[in-house]
Amino acid sequence: MARVRLFRNRAGGLGILALLALIATVVLWGAGGQLRPAQKATGQPQLVSVEPLPQADGERCEWEPASAANSSLFASFQQQFAPPAADVTEAEKLAASRRKPIRVINDPWGAFSAVAVDPIHNEVLMTDENKFRIVAYDRLENTPPNAKLSEPKRMIHGEDTEIEFQCSLYIDPANGDIYAVNNDTLGKMAVFPHGANGNAKPARYLNTPMATFGVAVDERTQELMLTVQDDAAVVTFKKTATGKDSPIRTLQGPRTLMADPHGIAYNPKTDQIYVSNWGSVNVHKRPASGKYSGTLNRGIGRDNWPVGRNDAVPGSGKFMPPSITVYPRDASWDTPPIRVIQGPRTQLNWPTALSIDHERGELYVANDPVDSVLVFKADANGDVAPIRVLKGPKTLIKNPTSVFADLKNQELWVANFGNHTATVYKLGASGDAPPLRVIRSGPIEAPAPMMGNPHTLTWDSKRDELLVAN
Amino acid sequence: MAHPQIAAFARLANGNAKPTRSIAGQNSAITRTIHDMAYNPITDEIVIPQFYAQAIMTYRGGANGDEKPIRIIMGPDTQMTTPARLALDPIHKEVFIPLEDTILVFPSDAEGNVKPIRTIKGPDTMLGATALTVDPVNNLLIASGQRPRKGDERAVESGRNGHILIFNRTDNGNVKPKAQIFGPKSKILLTALITVYPPTKMILAGMPSREKSSPNNWVGVWSETDNGDVPPRWMIGGPNQMLRQVRGITVVPKTKEVIVSDKYVNAVMTYHFPEIF
Repeated sequence: MARVRLFRNRAGGLGILALLALIATVVLWGAGGQLRPAQKATGQPQLVSVEPLPQADGERCEWEPASAANSSLFASFQQQFAPPAADVTEAEKLAASRRKPIRVINDPWGAFSAVAVDPIHNEVLMTDENKFRIVAYDRLENTPPNAKLSEPKRMIHGEDTEIEFQCSLYIDPANGDIYAVNNDTLGKMAVFPHGANGNAKPARYLNTPMATFGVAVDERTQELMLTVQDDAAVVTFKKTATGKDSPIRTLQGPRTLMADPHGIAYNPKTDQIYVSNWGSVNVHKRPASGKYSGTLNRGIGRDNWPVGRNDAVPGSGKFMPPSITVYPRDASWDTPPIRVIQGPRTQLNWPTALSIDHERGELYVANDPVDSVLVFKADANGDVAPIRVLKGPKTLIKNPTSVFADLKNQELWVANFGNHTATVYKLGASGDAPPLRVIRSGPIEAPAPMMGNPHTLTWDSKRDELLVAN
Repeated sequence: MAHPQIAAFARLANGNAKPTRSIAGQNSAITRTIHDMAYNPITDEIVIPQFYAQAIMTYRGGANGDEKPIRIIMGPDTQMTTPARLALDPIHKEVFIPLEDTILVFPSDAEGNVKPIRTIKGPDTMLGATALTVDPVNNLLIASGQRPRKGDERAVESGRNGHILIFNRTDNGNVKPKAQIFGPKSKILLTALITVYPPTKMILAGMPSREKSSPNNWVGVWSETDNGDVPPRWMIGGPNQMLRQVRGITVVPKTKEVIVSDKYVNAVMTYHFPEIF
C-alpha cells in the first residue's frame, strides 16, 4: 500500500481530498516549508512522492505527514470526524485517571534564586525555587569538585512553610531572622527565626501586593521595602509588619519611571534606595474618588496600597530600556527619581537583583541573561559604563538572579539559577575571576532546565519540541 | 519566579533535560510569568501575551536567546488591560484575548495599535473567561473561567463556580453561549488552561484545586457537544495522582499524548491517552 492510495481510502470524498490538498498546500509549502528540487509550483495538487507506509499499531494505519503538518489542526483535516467518545464505565474512567505519566521533565536538583549571608552565625542561606525551600550552609562551605553536591546544614521545606517561588532574602544582622519574599504565587513574605528547620511554620508572615520581588531594610528606621512588579511600585512597611498590616508609604506612578521593578538596595550612607527595572509597564490610575481594591483585591481595607491592575489604563503599556532608578528613602507616590542609570553603555540586561557596598560606594547588579555581575559607582547617573564587570567561563556565573555584598567578610555572593551553584568572590573581583568557593546543589555536569512555575506549554510540530514557558 | 523564559525541549525529553534553546533577555521583551502561549504551525510562529506592556508578541518559531519579537500588537486602540492568556486560530488568522468579562479578537498578523475586529461582552455572554481555545474546524470558541458570583447562590452554596462556555467562533457582541458546562456533576471547581482536539471534538481543561498544593488536581475531558451539569468523559493525571497544581495542556496527535505542566511539582508530564484521539 502506498501513501497516495491511503489518502483516497481515508478521506473518502473529493471534497475532503480537495480540502486536504488545500491545507497541505498551505501548511507544507505556503509558509515555511520548502519545495523539493524536483518539484515545480503549479498551483495544483501534484504527486510528489510514493513511499512505503510506516508501521503502525493494530490495523489502523496512520498517515504521518511531514514537519509542520503534524499539528492537531492538520490532523483535523486528515481524518473524518469521529463521534464523541462512547460511554465508558466509571471503573474504566477511574483506571484511566490513575495512569502514570510516561515521561516527566523535572530538575531533581536545587535551583538557587536568592542568596544572603547571616553575619552573626557565619552562614549563607539560599532560596531554592525548584524545590520550594530555603537552605542554610556554613559560610565557608566549598563543594569539592568530585562531590555530587553539598548537603545543607538545615533546610526549611514543606507544606507548612509558605515557601514557593521566593525571589529574595533578607537576614536580620542582629538576630539572624530570615525574611523570604514570595513573588507571584502565595502573596506572602514569610519570616522565620534563625535555626528554623524542616516543615516549620513561619514565625509570622506579611500579606503582600501581587508579585513582590526584591527586599531591602533600613535598620535605623526599622523599615522594610519591597518592589512590586505588577504595580510598578515600592511598598514600605514597618519591619515588624504582619498579616494585613498596611504599608506606611508607597512609591508608584508614571513619574517614578519604574517599569517591572525587580531588585532593590538601600544605601544607609545616603539614605537612598536603588531599584532595578526590566522596562515594561502600563499606567495604573487612581480612581478620582472612593476606595480602590488593588490587584486581586489584596488592598481592601488597607491604606497606602498600590493602585492595582484592575485600574490599569487600557492600551497604556509600553517598553522602556532597562534602568536603575534612585530615590530618597522616604519618597512616596509619584516622585521622580533623583538619578537614572540607563543606556547602551550600562550593559544592563534584565537587571534582576541589587546589593550595595556603602563603604566603597559601589552598587552590584545581577545581569541574568548575559551571565554577568555589573558594578557601578553608587552615585552613577545616566548612560555610564560599569566600573567593573564580573563575567566569563572561569567565574562560573550562569543566569545570576541574586547578588549579596558581604561587607563583614569582604566577599561577593552570586546565586546562579542556571547551573545549581552559589559562587563567592572577593569584593572587588573583576573580569573572568574564578570564585573563591562554590556551593553546588547538584552534580557539575547536571543540566539545568531552569523551569520555574511552568505555566503554559505548547507543541512545536515543526521541530517536534515542547515549548515550556516560565 | 526569578527567571522567565520560553524553553524548548525535545518532545521525548525525560528527567533532568537540557533545553534545546531558550528565549530570554531584554530584547525578547518577556517578563514573569508567561501565562499562555500558542504555536502556529502554518506560519511557524510563537505567540504570547505580555500583560505589563499590554501586548501580544509574535516570535519566529525557531527563535532562540535574546531575540526580539517579529510583531507586536499594542496601543490604546487595542483596549487591552491585562492580557494574560490567549487563543490562536491559525486557519482564520485570528488571536483571541480573554479579559474576564470581555473577549477581544484581533487579526493574528496585525501589528501595532489596532482595534479589535470583534468583541464579546455583555450580560448575555455569562463571561468570566480566564482562558480560551479555538476550534477552527468545528467553528467554536471555548472559554473557561469563573461564573459571575452575583446572585449565583447555587455556585456559592456548592463552592463550585468554574465553568466552560462554548460560543460560535465568529460570535460578536452580547451573545449567549451555545453551551455552558458547570455544576457539581461536572466537578469543575476552578479552571486552568484549556485546549481542544477538533477531530473528536474533545475539550481538555486543567482542573486545579484551591489549595496551593493538593492531590485534587486533574485534567478534565468533555465533548464540544456537552451542555449543562455533565460529568467529565475522562479525567487525566488525577485526582490523587502526581498533579498538585495543574497549569498548561497540549496534545500531540501523532503519538496520542496529552502533555501537562504543573506549578507545584515544577514539571512537565506526558500521558499516553489514545482514548481521546
